[in-house]
Amino acid sequence: MLTGAVLQAVNGISLAALLFLLASGFTLSFGLMRVVNMAHGAYYLLGGYVGLSVAQKTGSFTLAILGGGAAIAVIGFFIDRFLIRRTGENHLAQVLLTVGVAFVMGDVALHFWGGDNLKVPVPMFLRGAVELPGGLYYPSFRFALILFGIAAGLALWVLYRRTQIGAVVRAGVDDREQVNATGINVDRLFVLVSALASFLAGMAGVVGGAFLTLYPGAEWEILVYALVVVIVGGLGSLEGAMIGALIVGLLDAYGRWLLPEFSYFVLFGPIAVLMLFRPRGLFGREH
Amino acid sequence: MSAPRALFILIAVVAAIALPYVGGPFWTGLVTQMYIFGLLALSVDLLLGQAGLFSLTHASFFAVSAYTVAILQVRYGVPTVLAAPAGILAGSLLGLVFGLSVRTRGVYFILITIAFGYVIWGVAVRWSSFTGGDNGVTNVPFPSVGGFEIASHTQYYYLVLAVIVLCGLGYRVLIRSPFGLGLRGIKGSETRMKSLGYRTDMHLYAAFVLSAAIASLAGVLYVYYNRFVNPVASSFPISVEAALMAIVGGTGTIVGPFIGAGVVLGLRNWVSSFFEMHHAIMGAVFIATVLWAPDGLVGLAGRLRSRFSKKK
Repeated sequence: MLTGAVLQAVNGISLAALLFLLASGFTLSFGLMRVVNMAHGAYYLLGGYVGLSVAQKTGSFTLAILGGGAAIAVIGFFIDRFLIRRTGENHLAQVLLTVGVAFVMGDVALHFWGGDNLKVPVPMFLRGAVELPGGLYYPSFRFALILFGIAAGLALWVLYRRTQIGAVVRAGVDDREQVNATGINVDRLFVLVSALASFLAGMAGVVGGAFLTLYPGAEWEILVYALVVVIVGGLGSLEGAMIGALIVGLLDAYGRWLLPEFSYFVLFGPIAVLMLFRPRGLFGREH
Repeated sequence: MSAPRALFILIAVVAAIALPYVGGPFWTGLVTQMYIFGLLALSVDLLLGQAGLFSLTHASFFAVSAYTVAILQVRYGVPTVLAAPAGILAGSLLGLVFGLSVRTRGVYFILITIAFGYVIWGVAVRWSSFTGGDNGVTNVPFPSVGGFEIASHTQYYYLVLAVIVLCGLGYRVLIRSPFGLGLRGIKGSETRMKSLGYRTDMHLYAAFVLSAAIASLAGVLYVYYNRFVNPVASSFPISVEAALMAIVGGTGTIVGPFIGAGVVLGLRNWVSSFFEMHHAIMGAVFIATVLWAPDGLVGLAGRLRSRFSKKK
């Protein structure tokens, strides 16, 4: 029982690492640009597929991650520029538009990569298992994923809190017009952040494709998890995305373990309660 | 009522009644679906067009009600007289729970309703001992009340038509009542309604539950038409499509959602006969609607009409 509990904790944390990669981009692009991008899940899936093809061609997992991320960064840039930007700040229109984009991307992906479950090959040196204290064995890749998530989280946090670019982005989150008036090119900042968000989503797809597999419909399942992370943490907050990812990852792992048929309740029940007392999430603010 | 308008209604009524004799089974089936999904879209529009809340969880009420009817009728042999109301009741009770989401507004409301919708979908897929998993519940009979029995899709068409007309009239009364005007007021300016002494949270909550009840009624009509129900009925695409139908047709109107349902279903039927990527087509319709017809076809028609009358 205890070893099971430890195992689920590690499972939950590795899922949290993946969810953070996806949710951080979503939350940052909402925080700065007020954009609700429901195509984020489709970015994830398409990035995973592109990464899979790169991995099959080159045999390199690193290249796959970079390739998946870069491809989505480019696609995300065009979608942002030519479609999402035209909706202004009308969230209803944004949601419908980006859901439409996600449908199109999902069908295109289905056309090229088919409907089977596909798995991005895990690099050789991560294929074994590590021994945990207590005689447990755990797949190395999942451990690497946790480390990767922590590294990405730290890097984002430093970028956001400790660099000048981050300072400008934070200022933009607080008051966009004011930042614009001080002579900073907010538009260029938007491009940067939306490219970063898309890159993170594409990268998450490659990493997620190596342990959750890729299949049609995966884009919505992962998106809903990311949304819950964002709801719990509060829209627009990077720290919220970290805490939210941990909460959702752990709830999901224990839910699947203890109540497999009702794991969704275990995940969403506490969130409904949270909403009653803190409708804007743990770190959310008035928008 | 103006003369052209009365003529239009007359033509619509005659066409609706004559359809099964003129159009044959294909068109009868398609239009029955249009009525059913139009009713679902109308329930979404009660929140969207009247109160300004964009819900993406209405497939949940639709599916819970459909599952309730199917399970009661197929597994327990409960007659329609009890099964159909039980379905509406089950969906409305779920509305009482999910209605808590009216504590939030704007983006949070949208995101939370999406998350809620997935709970129901997850239960429908994973609780397979009760819901039948991916296969769902099959062999649902046609409805029969007392000695009166529906025996064909044509007869069912008329039943659905009657229900839709009653709902449309009831809906018209509802949105013109003080309650409906209150909703419009909240959509216009919630702070103003609050300062006038309205308890806007309770007002919206009541509208949410009512809307869930209408969606549940659509679910009952759906399961008797389809004769089976599976997790697809509860899935996110259904919720989005219902909203899309309302928007394509024109929000804030009664006929809009039905027109929208006809356009969306018709387009999908037509496109899928020669092009397999019909999800992509639906996506393109979403994008086109947002970019070029944000007020829907009813709004587009109004715009064209005012442009022509200006020219005169």
